[in-house]
Amino acid sequence: MIEIDNLHKKFGDTEVLKGVSLSIAPGEVVSILGASGSGKSTLMRCMNGLAGLNGGSLLIDGLDVSKPRELREIRKRCATVFQHFNLYPHLSVLDNITLAPMDVLGRKKAEVEAEAYALLKQVGLADRADAYPGQLSGGQKQRIGICRALAMQPRYLLLDEVTSALDPEMTGEVLDVLAALARSGTTMIFVTHEIAFAREISSRIVFLDDGVVRADMPTDRFFAEDGGYGDERIARFLAKMRNK
Amino acid sequence: MRNQGFNWHDPILWAQGLGVSVGVFAASMILGTVIGIFIALCRVYKVPVVAPVLLVISEFLKNSPVLVQLFLVFFGVPVLLQVNITPAEAAIFTLTGNTAAFIAVIAISAIDAIDRGQLEAARSFGHSERSILRKIIAPQALVVAMPALIGLAVNQLQVTSLISAIGVIDLTKVGQILNQRTWQPFIVWTIIGVTYFILSRLLAAAGGRLETRLRRHMDWAGL
Ligand SMILES: Nc1ncnc2c1ncn2[C@@H]1O[C@H](COP(=O)(O)OP(=O)(O)O)[C@@H](O)[C@H]1O
Ligand SMILES: [Mg+2]
Repeated sequence: MIEIDNLHKKFGDTEVLKGVSLSIAPGEVVSILGASGSGKSTLMRCMNGLAGLNGGSLLIDGLDVSKPRELREIRKRCATVFQHFNLYPHLSVLDNITLAPMDVLGRKKAEVEAEAYALLKQVGLADRADAYPGQLSGGQKQRIGICRALAMQPRYLLLDEVTSALDPEMTGEVLDVLAALARSGTTMIFVTHEIAFAREISSRIVFLDDGVVRADMPTDRFFAEDGGYGDERIARFLAKMRNK
Repeated sequence: MRNQGFNWHDPILWAQGLGVSVGVFAASMILGTVIGIFIALCRVYKVPVVAPVLLVISEFLKNSPVLVQLFLVFFGVPVLLQVNITPAEAAIFTLTGNTAAFIAVIAISAIDAIDRGQLEAARSFGHSERSILRKIIAPQALVVAMPALIGLAVNQLQVTSLISAIGVIDLTKVGQILNQRTWQPFIVWTIIGVTYFILSRLLAAAGGRLETRLRRHMDWAGL
């Protein structure tokens, strides 16, 4: 369970998150939508402890991100897939995937490697285990990024615009992997600009607007004429995204 | 000393000088690398007080002549602290500090060259700072730093010749001794010069091979 209560985050004098409250239960697939600069990435960074909080609280399974000891435990449960992949260029694909399970969870190499091969197979990259990130296309890199996160067997998967840095012809291969994950019951918090896809896979939509949650409702409701669409700002955002 | 020709003892003298030069070089390079990396890490992790102090010292060491530093350590420090210090100690101490200052600069820029996104990813996965340093930063920084490190090593080898000025019997000092005795400056300094040249080339070649090995798996890393 992720429980965010009245979360505030400032950079210098500018407040980026202005009292965000949100809770996400295990098994949910929640998409976070919002204009660029609305604070989506910052919210994600607060969840995995890359950004500290200036107010409010953020608990994951009852653990507090602002306590270093508890954050360490949180990081074993939340894995992030990054917009720019952030793979380790000096490590092979296999080592990229197995590093954290071995180093952080202290698991055995043979075991973790077997799982890594299984994950690679799932994302259609079984033959690239020995390649280096620099040898892969963007779409392949991102599928490895997803494998790296899944290798931690996380309870929560955080995805921040994972297709934004990809060429359009490569988004499909990544979205397919994500759709399969969503069906498998993995808890996903999914920041995206792929509105149609968000609508397809998520059970709930959260709309962030200038650092506040402007809408938080089941997907059907959000896209209904009298639901999220009824909100003038949301309607404008959706119209803009559709015209892109 | 009288004007005499070369004799059978001279190659031994040459070898001793060579040993001293290589010894001082190796000692100051190794110690300097350890200390330089320490300075760099203090800086990268923004350790309060320590980092700025070390940086001021390293600026001084980079921007003043090594010969002056040697004089300061060999003649100045014993007076100030009322201690005895041998020429060899002064030489190693000074060159270590000097090497450390340059290593620090190289290490800081190599670490800065690593993409921050990877480090955030590693942190988000729960790796400790220590293992991020060992498993992610160090291997990449080393590859980035290799050319500069090789250049520095070759340069520091030449710099060791200055220690003859405080009385260390290194290769250059041996050259002076032989020259005074034989009055054959052309032959003596050619031999000494060629010796340094060969040492430098060997050093650069060894460094180059190490770099190739390190890079073998990194051709695709974009480093
Ligand atoms: N490290 C930072 N320092 C200063 N400002 C930041 C930083 N990170 C984000 N911001 C600012 O916070 C706001 C929200 O950013 P972000 O969370 O990245 O939005 P989104 O992901 O929704 O596009 C933006 O105005 C951005 O400029
Ligand atoms: Mg963002």
